[in-house]
Amino acid sequence: MCDLFALSAEVNYSAPKSLPIFAARAGRNMDGWGIGFFRKNRAYVEKSAARAYREGRFHDGFQRLARVVSSKFIIAHVRLRTSGPIDECHSHPFVLQLKGDDWIFAHNGKASSIESYRGQKVRLDDVVSDSGRTFEYLMDGIAARHEGSSGVFRLFTAVADTSRQLIEQYPGSYNYLLTNGSVLFAFSNHRQFLLLRESRNLERALLLTTVEHGLSEENWERFSRRSGSIGFLMAIAGSDILFKEDM
Amino acid sequence: MCDIFALSAGVNYTAQKYLPIFAEKGRQNMNGWGFGFYRGNQALVEKSAERVYDSEQVHESFQRLARVVDSRIIVSHISCPLSGGSHSAQNHPFALSFLNHVWLFVHVGLIKGIEDYQTTNEPGIDVDVYPARVFEYLRDQLISYLQYTSYESLSRSLVKGIRNLLSDYPGYYSFFLANESVLFAFFNFRSLMLLRESESYGNCLIVTSIEGLSDREWIAIKPEENTLGKLLVAAGPDVLYLGDVV
Repeated sequence: MCDLFALSAEVNYSAPKSLPIFAARAGRNMDGWGIGFFRKNRAYVEKSAARAYREGRFHDGFQRLARVVSSKFIIAHVRLRTSGPIDECHSHPFVLQLKGDDWIFAHNGKASSIESYRGQKVRLDDVVSDSGRTFEYLMDGIAARHEGSSGVFRLFTAVADTSRQLIEQYPGSYNYLLTNGSVLFAFSNHRQFLLLRESRNLERALLLTTVEHGLSEENWERFSRRSGSIGFLMAIAGSDILFKEDM
Repeated sequence: MCDIFALSAGVNYTAQKYLPIFAEKGRQNMNGWGFGFYRGNQALVEKSAERVYDSEQVHESFQRLARVVDSRIIVSHISCPLSGGSHSAQNHPFALSFLNHVWLFVHVGLIKGIEDYQTTNEPGIDVDVYPARVFEYLRDQLISYLQYTSYESLSRSLVKGIRNLLSDYPGYYSFFLANESVLFAFFNFRSLMLLRESESYGNCLIVTSIEGLSDREWIAIKPEENTLGKLLVAAGPDVLYLGDVV
């Protein structure tokens, strides 16, 4: 199963400590890696089909980027393929533009039912995986709710409603990170997220990962859906959880 | 009645297009003005006890600041006599550090009894005007909910704090509370005007108590009857949430 990492901070931050630990602890994921971040309002993604970590050594590019990338949001993904070919194009994160805003998306899970979906508003034409289709679906859902809103468009509500509809229409296991550079959404219906604020050993931003036991020997807070709910969604800005909703 | 203004954007942004008009339209408020914004994660406040608009001109320093200040969050307040005090220190915004942020606060309203509120945390705001007590009250509430459980939802904790505030000190509230990343707006008696500027116009969100800052399509949002008020949460140029506090 792939693994996810996110850093969220009030100001631009690098993750030279936590990103390599993430790659090492998620080392069983051998089918590629990617790091997404924002510079000004634009999203950038660097990715590879190579292993991020192998036999005690980090991929050179991954290691250098971990030191250099500086952003309020950093999203990283290490991949164990379950859908789509193994190549750089199919490594996460992905980027799409919607109404002038760049969005970064990374996902783990499996949802074969969504592979037939085709994006209405935006498309990742070169990507043939459930993750690519999931990203398109989310963007379409947000766009539709934006256009349908007669008054104020509410982004958290739109993401929550779209995610709920996604699970109903295309059942599967979803665990995604989605950000537009101002807010980070973290959703899961099958795995946990571990969060850490004010780390003494790593960066002092808010850190989030799917890696079991977290990235340090500190008290990582676990979040997973409650029994009876179909998933949970968090909205994070800076180092704060703004919203936390079981669906 | 005082007036308030807030800008929220994904990157540093200057409100030079709106702030002078905000000052001009708020000209009846003659008891001073203030600006709050962020440099990195430090909050900076500039304020004055002078009229924001006089002799057919917006205050010179206000104009200069409107041109120069760039920040992801900008809040501004122009004061009427009801806000209390005539020294610049008594003008809004107020700033307080808590929960790992420096927070900015501006307020319009009328509340009885809260001037006697004694904060339970340090530091207090060393001015004798009731909006400072409102800010301290909200700070104390947020700390009480979040100091031991920092993974709780900030928005939900604020809603709980607002409920307690309205229970302890009923009155008319309209305030902005912001940190470097997030803008909260709560109001229970006045409409606020909302504008999401498109990317070509700057990709930012403007919220203000004054109508008609431009000829674009502003949305009036107002509290519903039989609710405690309305809460808006914005991050960058997006409204994440707008709903009733009940």
